[in-house]
Amino acid sequence: MLSGECSLQFDLTSLTPYFGDLAAGARLTAFACALALAGSLILGILVALMRTAASTKAQRVANVYVDVFRNVPFIVQLFFLFYGLPEIGIELSALATGVLALSLAGGAFTSDAIRAGILAIEPGVLEAAQVSGLPRVAIYRRIVLPIALRSAVRPLGSVFVNLILTSSILSAITLNELTGSAKIVAADTFQPFEVYALLLVLYAVLTWLVSLAAGALHRRLNRNQL
Amino acid sequence: MRYTDFSYHDIVLLLQGLGVSVALFAATTLIGLVIGLAWATLRYYRVPLLAPLAALLAELLKNSPVLVQLFLVFFGLPVLLEMDLTPVQAALITLSGNTAAFIYVIAVSAIESVGRDQLETARVFGLSRWQTLRRIVMPQAAAFALGPLAGLLVNQLQVTSLISVIGVVDLTKVGAILNLRTLKPFIVWTVIGLLYYLMARLIAAACARVEARLRAHRQWKGL
Repeated sequence: MLSGECSLQFDLTSLTPYFGDLAAGARLTAFACALALAGSLILGILVALMRTAASTKAQRVANVYVDVFRNVPFIVQLFFLFYGLPEIGIELSALATGVLALSLAGGAFTSDAIRAGILAIEPGVLEAAQVSGLPRVAIYRRIVLPIALRSAVRPLGSVFVNLILTSSILSAITLNELTGSAKIVAADTFQPFEVYALLLVLYAVLTWLVSLAAGALHRRLNRNQL
Repeated sequence: MRYTDFSYHDIVLLLQGLGVSVALFAATTLIGLVIGLAWATLRYYRVPLLAPLAALLAELLKNSPVLVQLFLVFFGLPVLLEMDLTPVQAALITLSGNTAAFIYVIAVSAIESVGRDQLETARVFGLSRWQTLRRIVMPQAAAFALGPLAGLLVNQLQVTSLISVIGVVDLTKVGAILNLRTLKPFIVWTVIGLLYYLMARLIAAACARVEARLRAHRQWKGL
């Protein structure tokens, strides 16, 4: 399909010696995304709780954070951290900076999904918990978060898919994750079209699998609803 | 000798970068809108072969990083087709295609949001498929699509920042140049981030105004 009317042929076989490099890049992408997922989940839960809190001050702080990180391009945030942090004496590796930037940006989007889950909880459930005399921490831990997280699995899945796609930008700060290692392979083989076409399909399959898994998990966790 | 201080010329440079970003954003949004709507029309008319192909292409573009698409077009296409491509051309092609994919998805769900009963009624009244699309589906779908469209536009503005990686001197690239010269990352990237933020805000506000207008007929005007 891709080579149809083109003068050069589409030849993937000459790329086989480089599959190891690409696999190493993919492992780094997976590692960074897993760490960033954990980071953005923690941050997202905290921010979502702040945004749904009774205190308007907490709401305002959280809203400013979400507003800023959603409306500034990720690459600008990344450069801000990558060049800015050493300036104030915080020396982080490219990987650590990348994971930090991904977590900060992902936290803003994660908090949206979790906030929607919290707001969807029936007020009667919370009132019942308060009447039963449960302490606030227990209400959050035992009632609010389990319900909110369960109903937010599918939206969180699409946030995670976006996180994976965004992680390709980490190649701009010298990190040789999947896209970064593909850049090296493309330069080595002089076959940029094949390499990047393969990469495009790889990412598409990977994110498709992730969204399938999120959908399945969502159905499983919500099987008793409705 | 190093010129590490900010100068008057930097403001000119910043404005130039801002202009390039805005121009590319506007151009790719328009082209993407036309292509995306054309894809959605293919689906509306259920054109065999082309409609599923458009769906597959949109899915592929939606689910892969824009950076990889950009590399594929900028580094890959010239080798494959044996032609020259400037960074700006590559950016135009990639961003238009990417925007078109998302417009397609929004348009399809907007068209589907119009109830089946309305289509059937239109058919009973003897309207052609095109008349139904033009008079019944489009006005309602447009109002439905504006919310997601506003989100998309804000997102696509941020995506334009990626073209700095292939050497287009847009706002982000200007930031990188100033950052390297002045070695004041906090000031430089804060200013760049603020400019993007203000542009995103402007787009969101404009979309909200248009949406309020399209939805005016639904508002309760009082007795």
